[in-house]
Amino acid sequence: MLQIKNISVAYDSVQAVDQISFTAEKGRITTVIGANGAGKTTLLRTISGLITPKSGIITWSGREIQGMRAENIVRAGIAQAPEGHSVIAELTVEENIRMGALFRLRTNRADVSTAIAECYELFPRLHERKSQKAGTLSGGERQMLAISRALVSRPELLLLDEPSLGLAPLIVEQIIDTVSILCREKGLTVLLVEQNANTALAIADHGVLLALGKVVADMPAAQLRADESLRAAYLGY
Amino acid sequence: MQTFLNALFTGGSRGAIYALVALGLVLVWRGAGLINFAQMGQAMFSAYVASTLITKGFNYWVAFFAALIVGAILGAAIDILVIRPLKKKSGTAILGSPSMRDAIPVIASLGILGILQSVAGMIWAGSERGFPAPVSTVALKVGTNTMPFTFFDLFTIGVVILILIATSLFLSRTSVGLAMRASALNSEVARLSGIRTRSIRTLGWIISGAVASVAGLLVTPATNISPSSLDLILIIGFTACVIGGLDSLLGAVVGGFLLGFVIAFISAYDLPEDIFIAIFLILIGIMYVRPQGLFGSQVSRRV
Repeated sequence: MLQIKNISVAYDSVQAVDQISFTAEKGRITTVIGANGAGKTTLLRTISGLITPKSGIITWSGREIQGMRAENIVRAGIAQAPEGHSVIAELTVEENIRMGALFRLRTNRADVSTAIAECYELFPRLHERKSQKAGTLSGGERQMLAISRALVSRPELLLLDEPSLGLAPLIVEQIIDTVSILCREKGLTVLLVEQNANTALAIADHGVLLALGKVVADMPAAQLRADESLRAAYLGY
Repeated sequence: MQTFLNALFTGGSRGAIYALVALGLVLVWRGAGLINFAQMGQAMFSAYVASTLITKGFNYWVAFFAALIVGAILGAAIDILVIRPLKKKSGTAILGSPSMRDAIPVIASLGILGILQSVAGMIWAGSERGFPAPVSTVALKVGTNTMPFTFFDLFTIGVVILILIATSLFLSRTSVGLAMRASALNSEVARLSGIRTRSIRTLGWIISGAVASVAGLLVTPATNISPSSLDLILIIGFTACVIGGLDSLLGAVVGGFLLGFVIAFISAYDLPEDIFIAIFLILIGIMYVRPQGLFGSQVSRRV
């Protein structure tokens, strides 16, 4: 279980995230939605250790993790597929995936190859392109690669930053379905940040709506989806 | 013909040394994003240590490996004691501004060069001293023919090629090598993958320090050591890696050999005074046609 309590983050003097609190239950998909600039990405980067919050507490499996370095957060079982389908274009597909498992080579070498094979099973297109440079992949394939890179670290919590951004609806559906399967079948906890609220709420168990760095709604996804006044006020449709 | 062959082999062995210097600079640049002007200061310091060991009666190879270790330790020390703390300090207006953030570590490396040179001067009293070569520096003879190269030239080229192959295999085939490439290309994604980018960067400084020390040892039999004797080589090595493309290992090597040949041929057929004009013209010419260098990547990764 991931518990976020009164987290605030400021860039220079701009308050990007203001006293945010919510909980992501184990084995569930929690989605954080909101318009551009609501603080979603900042929140995710704070959880994954790229940003140190100004104040507040993040508890993961009973342990306080705010301010821990990103490379140690991964070791604690939290992996992030960053925004913009971030992969390393100059490295091959296989190298990009392996990269996520390097830190486990010393402790569990055998499982690293198993984990990589599982990713190829999940996304056969990556297997076909494993010796290609990641820069030659399409947007959807890059997103699959970014997710695979996160998965080979065998996370218990997967952070996804706008996986649908700039992708065709069919591909989005495929990726979202895969995430949903991972959650239902393997008990993975997912924190999904999305601007595309409809898609996200359709698969999520719980929804958190952010506006201007603050939580404006924190309720079951179905309820949030049905609330027309919230949708009209904050999501614009 | 004899002049031509002479220039060819001198150029090859000098070029090999410039290639090593350039390689050391590229390794730090890729990891830390700065040109380490202290590099040949580290090499000078370790050459002095090696020279002291040899005068104390140690074997050449003991001194050689001691110099590598000193170079590596100095590299690690600069990163841990100077560069890392500098990167953390962003509180003041100067340190916090984006343009200065990149420039300050470079200025610091110049400062370290000064410190290393004065400390070496204090310890070894600024004296120039000779330095042995592990093999003969007299022109080889096959039968009655004098060859245009010495055994030491061959040794130098051989050592450099060995280091180049080892470095590229290390980077392309090993897990740590993959971690190094990933950290250099995109440190944020690398960190999110669990790679300890700070330690990996220090490793780059360590390898770079050791490689530079080899360059220092290979060049000193020809020039003697003094606290500032390697400054010129740093400038040529730096030019070599700019020509080759700052982020490319292959580019560093090609640039190094290119300058080695240019220098040797100009010394042989023209006046030595023209060497720097020629280097300068080549540099400007290449920057004009390919600003990213011969093998540099098109898009700057720091954007």
